[in-house]
Amino acid sequence: MWAFLKKDILVLLRDRTELAVLLLMPFILIVILGFSLRGLLMGDTEALNMQVALVQHDDEQAGIEQFTGELEAAAVPDQAAEQLEAAAGQVSPSSLLQSVLSSPELEEMLDVMELDEEAARQALQNEEVTAILTIPEDFTLLALRNMLLGEGPGSELELTVADTTSTRANVFQDILTDFTRSLNFETAVARAAAAEGGAISAESPAVQLGGVETVSAREPVNSFQYYTLGMAVMFVLFVSSTIAGKANVERQQHVFNRILLTNRHPFVYLSGKVLSSALISFCQLFVLFLFSTIVLQAFEWNSLEFWLGMAGISAVLAVCVGALAALLTSLTMRFNSDAIVTVFAGGIVTILAFLGGSFIPVSEMPGFLQAFGDWTPNGASMTAYLSWIQERDMTRVMDPLSRVGGTAVVLIAGSLLLFPTRGGD
Amino acid sequence: MLETEELTKVFKSKAAVDGVSLYLDKGESVGLLGPNGAGKSTTISMISTLSKPTTGDVRLDGRSVVKDPGKMRKVLGVVPQEIALYEDLSAYENLQFFGRIYGLSGSRLEQAIQQALELVGLKERQKEIVKTYSGGMQRRINIAAAMMHEPELIIMDEPTVGIDPQSRSHILEMVRQLNKEKGLTVLYTSHYMEEVERLCDRVYIMDHGTIIASGTKDELKSILSGEETIWIELDRPYPELFAELAAHPEIVQAAETEKGIKLIIPKGKRILGSIFQSAERHQAQILNVNVQTPTLEDVFLHLTGRKLRD
Repeated sequence: MWAFLKKDILVLLRDRTELAVLLLMPFILIVILGFSLRGLLMGDTEALNMQVALVQHDDEQAGIEQFTGELEAAAVPDQAAEQLEAAAGQVSPSSLLQSVLSSPELEEMLDVMELDEEAARQALQNEEVTAILTIPEDFTLLALRNMLLGEGPGSELELTVADTTSTRANVFQDILTDFTRSLNFETAVARAAAAEGGAISAESPAVQLGGVETVSAREPVNSFQYYTLGMAVMFVLFVSSTIAGKANVERQQHVFNRILLTNRHPFVYLSGKVLSSALISFCQLFVLFLFSTIVLQAFEWNSLEFWLGMAGISAVLAVCVGALAALLTSLTMRFNSDAIVTVFAGGIVTILAFLGGSFIPVSEMPGFLQAFGDWTPNGASMTAYLSWIQERDMTRVMDPLSRVGGTAVVLIAGSLLLFPTRGGD
Repeated sequence: MLETEELTKVFKSKAAVDGVSLYLDKGESVGLLGPNGAGKSTTISMISTLSKPTTGDVRLDGRSVVKDPGKMRKVLGVVPQEIALYEDLSAYENLQFFGRIYGLSGSRLEQAIQQALELVGLKERQKEIVKTYSGGMQRRINIAAAMMHEPELIIMDEPTVGIDPQSRSHILEMVRQLNKEKGLTVLYTSHYMEEVERLCDRVYIMDHGTIIASGTKDELKSILSGEETIWIELDRPYPELFAELAAHPEIVQAAETEKGIKLIIPKGKRILGSIFQSAERHQAQILNVNVQTPTLEDVFLHLTGRKLRD
């Protein structure tokens, strides 16, 4: 088996064209895609750095006081009135909005400066700011009336942007939309709690309201990280077609017949293919990740835990690629044709890469395509890598990784069944 | 040592090999002679266990190798017509790989590599990449790779195709040594008559998938014992002259060659006079006339009506 492993590696190392396809091509694509699609992923905060002018017409304290006064004047029971007064201080939307805008998640992305209306308009004209966020007069009072008493139309924030097609403006609009959506959700919860008599306690989730839903607890992924993983899981599949292609050359040049004549069990030959493909795949993944870390600073380099996790996922993916190489080899030998390898490298890899999210995140795809993608070895590996980068939780990685491992077992079994024990008849 | 019984191989209802029976005694050198497409390679493929016969059997020391290919593979070395080597690896790396998968290791492997390289005369250039070798050197390494496990029987399928005379001579001498000095049993296929005449004790002649004649060289030549060959060398081709001679009632067989015409005639017939008259009628310039005893080539021509390299 080691003889096959050494031979396959030597043969590949001396084929510069194949090496360029396996290593240079993904490098180039990572750089191109990483730069050109920078900003479309949440983690690219530096690319989305934006200045926002805040025009404050609302007097928050006066609004809360007026709301409290209205409660006293109204026929609200004393206990309920006390709870609503306490809640008014906690869920004041103006404070919540400002805490969102100055939250750690957004502080690298947003630079909020409070200006008067005229200065803000001027700044927008001079493109010194991306947007103007205006908090209207009586915003707090109207919002509290609506949120806590269910009275009145509520209040609206006003957003002014110079260019509605700008990515930055859209992102800021998304942040505000998420904020209002969260606020509305919390209001509904508060009302439901109040209706059950529990009202809003000091432990109510008001503090969490400041978080933007989509950011969640996950670490954001930037475009270089995403496309390093995307290209890595795509180009690693080419290792299997390359190794199977070399097996086809062995067949064409009758070297394979010579191997058969040594009376080696097919398992040994296929094991060599699995091992060499797996080793080459693992090295390819390692080189790509290393390149992205050194040149593009995509990954942290000083966390042993991080790299051990990446190595574990890569090892399982590499074995699966080895199994795929064995299957392609068996099919090539059985049908005496390299058509399968050509179709795989020329079309199937691209389809698998698309389904697996190498080009665009699977979340942008229809549900049934996402389901397909989850069952591709590259897609499941991509999910595993992303989970690990974002959450550092191996238990979250095990599910996609077990799919990759299962696929490898099925592929190896198939390749053993299909492998011919004689030469071409 | 080895025998085939009515070997037949059918591809898409066409028989490429049809009922071939042959045998090889231990230490013998046997030639399998036939033109391209005669079925030699398919026969070899079945004997070497790479292809399963449609019908018939191959027996090694009385045991079927169709049922148990492993026994044959242990003692067999095959030199295929193609250069079955990794062209991006050096000669040494190729031999090391094939030696390893034959189960050799350590000093035994190293010794086998060096012996094989010495045999083919490429010890000095063992570290060079195979694709940088000349065609003749590649063919020599092709033979060395088949010798790594010290086989008892070696099958060589046209091992000298497309190489320079020096390499060809080297290979022929090497095969002769392996057979005569090391006692290796050799099955040698070729469409070069002179190679088979030089190397082989017995010859099987194949055409259209069947054995059409067999025996020692002398036995085969005795097929034409009542005939002789006349070579007529001409300054250029004369199709009309050839047609006239081919139709001559006393001439058994006529064939056009590169330099003239070859005729097989009954021994003792005096037809040279009429040949010269025909040449004069067609204003053909005769450069040389040579009367020979028959060769295996003549036997083949006699049996099939065509030349080996047609």
